Amino acid sequence: MTDRRHLVERGAPALLLLALALAAIVPTPSGLRLDSADTEATERWASALDGLPAEPTILVAFDPDLGTYPEIRPTVRVAIADLLAMEARLAFVSLTPEGRALLLAELQRLERLDVNSARLLDLGFVPGAEAALVSLADGPTARVRAGAIARELATEGSAAFEALLVVGGNDIGPRSWVEQYVPRVDPRPVLAITPTVLLPEIQPYLASGQLDAVFGTPRDGATYRRSAELGSLERLREAPEPPASGLLLGMAVAIAALAHGWIARVARAAGGAGREQERP
Amino acid sequence: MRRPVVAALVIVVGILLLADFLVVNESLGEIAGLVIDAVILVAAGAALAGVVSLAWRRGYDLWRRRGDPIGAILVLVGIAAMLVAGLRPGAEGAGDPAVGWLVAALLAPIAATLFGLLFVTTIVAARRSLSGGARDAVLLVAAALVTLVLLLPVGGEVGDWLAQAAGWTLAVPVAAVFRGLLLGIAILAAVFAARTLLGIGATDD
Repeated sequence: MTDRRHLVERGAPALLLLALALAAIVPTPSGLRLDSADTEATERWASALDGLPAEPTILVAFDPDLGTYPEIRPTVRVAIADLLAMEARLAFVSLTPEGRALLLAELQRLERLDVNSARLLDLGFVPGAEAALVSLADGPTARVRAGAIARELATEGSAAFEALLVVGGNDIGPRSWVEQYVPRVDPRPVLAITPTVLLPEIQPYLASGQLDAVFGTPRDGATYRRSAELGSLERLREAPEPPASGLLLGMAVAIAALAHGWIARVARAAGGAGREQERP
Repeated sequence: MRRPVVAALVIVVGILLLADFLVVNESLGEIAGLVIDAVILVAAGAALAGVVSLAWRRGYDLWRRRGDPIGAILVLVGIAAMLVAGLRPGAEGAGDPAVGWLVAALLAPIAATLFGLLFVTTIVAARRSLSGGARDAVLLVAAALVTLVLLLPVGGEVGDWLAQAAGWTLAVPVAAVFRGLLLGIAILAAVFAARTLLGIGATDD
């Protein structure tokens, strides 16, 4: 390997980082966009929320993981703002340590942004995974502290929740909630926001109607964010939106690097076959 | 002696929970609730034991001057920082602002950085596997290339077509393979559960 090529290979990651940082700063060209024309997921979401009574109490199961949360974070923040904009009361619970850590950060963000704390209730962390889901179906009263939502939960138990929103991750996602929690409580809309990696396992639940609406791809999330009208809660939206130019650049680099390796491999194979034919 | 006890426990707890799920009975519900609470306590205890074991192991390694001393110090300092932030006098536990800062300003960015590095390491690994010449590596990289092209954030008609194609790929071939895997795992779990219930071990094969 020549010194020049060695230098280029060593410096490539730093150059890529620099280019990505620049792409995040410069304005996104009009031809690039994350959202799509397919609004089915957004319509299902809106339809599920339209069926809720005024000022609904919603259980938010918050169990994303640190690795995939950046993919869904902008959508989660807009969804929470959207629910608060419709005067919903949100009770948060986590079943994984990572989900709990991320929830604490999100709750502190909501506090910093002056969200009415009377509309939020932190039910804390419940260990035990599937066993915890069964326990929550019986009612989270034991973990409830104070406030209007707490009083409602103390009297009605899990029946106080008029909808369930699952923010899923690799450990606990909509599948576990549908299998362990939903059969033990009265029917209610179940919404979910998940990283793409979970989509194949939750699609059957969506098709069967056990899940009412899912944002399971970055495109669905971006389409929803574009259409969400948050009114006075626009400040809860993540700003700036993930830059499409940065994504395109990263993907283009990945495509170029993989395609180069693939072409080189095919060329080597063709060269080897040619030499075989030339042999007497 | 140990195997029949485990099998008996599994059978009793399983039947109890199933009966509670199918039959509405207050006494049964209370007993099932006790069992579930016991499971939750065991899970919480196991998590705590895991943390204590990790701290003990790293502390012992440090004391015996073996392994990775910098890694051990970082683990112990991390555990201590989180405990002090949440348990110091006057702290609000897990909801304390100091704990939130440690999570939001340190833990989440560090994890995001590690996952960001996956971008580079995955490409390097893919290129290395290609240079190895294995046919499945070529197929894997070709599939990755197609997926990347389908997910390009392009607008207009081309973007809509790519989005539709990506949706179809996720809903049909990827979902089919994934569900096949899930079914296989479910069948294996059912077989393992049946073997446990019947007390069949590896020595009986």
